[in-house]
Amino acid sequence: MDKTDQSILRELEPGMPMIQQPFAEIGKRTGITEDEVISRIQRMKDTGIIRKIRARINQREIGIAANALVAWNVHEGWDGYSRLAALPGVSHCYLRKPVPGKWEYSVYTVHHNRTESEVYFIVSQFAGKEGITDYQVLFSTEELKRVPAVRIDETGERIR
Amino acid sequence: MRYSQKIPGVHTSQGGETIRKDNRIDTTDLLLLDALQDDLPLTPRPWQAIGEQIGVSEEECLQRISRLSESGVIRNISPVLESRKFGLNAGTLIAFHIPEERIDEVAAIINSYPEVSHNYRRDHHYSIWFTIAGRSNGEIERIIEEIQTKAGIPDEDMISLPTIRSYKIDVRFRCIPEGSDG
Repeated sequence: MDKTDQSILRELEPGMPMIQQPFAEIGKRTGITEDEVISRIQRMKDTGIIRKIRARINQREIGIAANALVAWNVHEGWDGYSRLAALPGVSHCYLRKPVPGKWEYSVYTVHHNRTESEVYFIVSQFAGKEGITDYQVLFSTEELKRVPAVRIDETGERIR
Repeated sequence: MRYSQKIPGVHTSQGGETIRKDNRIDTTDLLLLDALQDDLPLTPRPWQAIGEQIGVSEEECLQRISRLSESGVIRNISPVLESRKFGLNAGTLIAFHIPEERIDEVAAIINSYPEVSHNYRRDHHYSIWFTIAGRSNGEIERIIEEIQTKAGIPDEDMISLPTIRSYKIDVRFRCIPEGSDG
């Protein structure tokens, strides 16, 4: 990744230009051709720097009002991660190091569904099927901060 | 035919504040929202490609995206970057037990760190949950200690749950309901 790639990322970060040829516009701003913009983005995808380019949507506007973090205490040898990750509305599924004696939950999912009862239904049904008896559903009551983990600095040179 | 710049259903009041008069979302919008949450086609005219997928013209596709952006349904269309490729190799999820009246003050301290990307208040004894991403576990531990000191959070009111493995990260909201087999 060189300075030109960083400039492209900086231009892309606030959002794609809403015009017929957005990559040509990015090229104009970064001093390269449309073709080069596209091939550089393709290369950043191939090397895994860019996972994808997609719309970030405000789920509340389409009626998805419930957000829950679910902490699961799974039994030794449990291996249902792909089944858990595939549940409707699950955006994240992580294995984490618990705090023995204080907080025994090692598997974490983030759920986005229409209502709290829909989350409860999906979670309890899954727990029943999988024989998981200890889990906690933590609904969010306020979003205090939400930004991408990786952000491009205004200068385009420092990336965090 | 040219489309006017005015976006249907969005009216601007005298104070400049946008008022949503007609924020109804139709089935084509829902198809579009689902399509836009997939990876954008990397071609010179991506909106034309998306339009073809859902059966509308490039012009209409662009117009609908603009309207959905104006009304706040779409935040933006931007790249998802792989944090490990940027040297962010370590992460943790932290929970604090904080009395109700201190939440705002402590949240301000936590949120001032660029390493914190997500912070939510949750309905639980541990009332604030936030994530930290850093270059190493050492860096993260240093940040946690600093936040604890500034916010006055003793160890017994805190849990840190370092990431061992991620099985899924895909924030996507299905707009067209799934079949009844769900």
